[in-house]
Amino acid sequence: MRHLRWLLIPIVLVPLVWVLNFGFGRDPAEIPSQLIGKPLPSFRLVTLDGQTMTAEQLRGKPILINFWASWCAPCVAEHAILSDAQRRYGDRITIVGVLYQDTADRGRTFVARYGGDWPILLDPGGTLALDFGVTGPPESYFVDAAGIVRAKQFGPLTDAVLAARVAPLLAAAIDR
Amino acid sequence: MRTLAVPVAAGATLALVALIGLTYLRPPGHPTQAELAHQIADELRCPDCQGLSVADSPSGSATEIRTQIDQLLARGLSADQVRSHFVDRYGEWILLAPRAPIAWLLPGVVVLLGLAALTAWIWRGATRPTPVIPAQQPSQADRERVREEAERLDA
Repeated sequence: MRHLRWLLIPIVLVPLVWVLNFGFGRDPAEIPSQLIGKPLPSFRLVTLDGQTMTAEQLRGKPILINFWASWCAPCVAEHAILSDAQRRYGDRITIVGVLYQDTADRGRTFVARYGGDWPILLDPGGTLALDFGVTGPPESYFVDAAGIVRAKQFGPLTDAVLAARVAPLLAAAIDR
Repeated sequence: MRTLAVPVAAGATLALVALIGLTYLRPPGHPTQAELAHQIADELRCPDCQGLSVADSPSGSATEIRTQIDQLLARGLSADQVRSHFVDRYGEWILLAPRAPIAWLLPGVVVLLGLAALTAWIWRGATRPTPVIPAQQPSQADRERVREEAERLDA
């Protein structure tokens, strides 16, 4: 019976280490997307420029959907990465921004200051953000040419993440 | 007076039991749509808050979810369908109270196991026989030495 006492050490330590590592080592808002492998949610929204855009119009090319806000500090650095991506990939992918919990005026001011000429969707009522299960900006979704959501990026995009996520979408688009 | 005491006590007990029964066993009335919406909002996690329900949060996304709950209920969806609508988008994470039974059972099982281990430990301690240390008689040499020491002290 005495030797069984040694079992108490792993019984206590293993759950403790697990909680410390996985429980406290990540942002609780970083949740897996329920959309992965499913079609892009349907929408019909207006851009900052007043153009109407639907989900169906975007089919045929890989899409990067980026939820952002003018009040979101990490979105500033991410905006520069998106501008680079637009130059690098050209018309091989479609970048679409979605203004999250923000006003059109602030969105226009932001774009005027930091540049970028990809379409920015206004999302009154936050319907599209709720359909994507967004927990806060910046958050991005990678959609393949067939309109299937393939990946989610929680937090700001980096060059490495973009390259890793876009490459398979481009390869799949060529194979189609 | 004593003859009345028993029936009065029995009647009072019956009345009390009936009152409790009526209070707790009465079938719940149908909540209004606003009450149902608030109840659902109370069960959903605000997506961009820390530990607040959609009902309690003033954030923009919580407000939008409350509006969507109202719209879905007005469209005729049941409370379960409305909850599922948000679970389909955010996963079980959006529910403040998890639906998986293991989440409710596991703490109880752990407490029961702990109580069982504690009881077993106390039981073993109570039933373990106290070791009897046999009393040793001093040897003749010890007696001699004690006597010599006593004499030396007296001298």
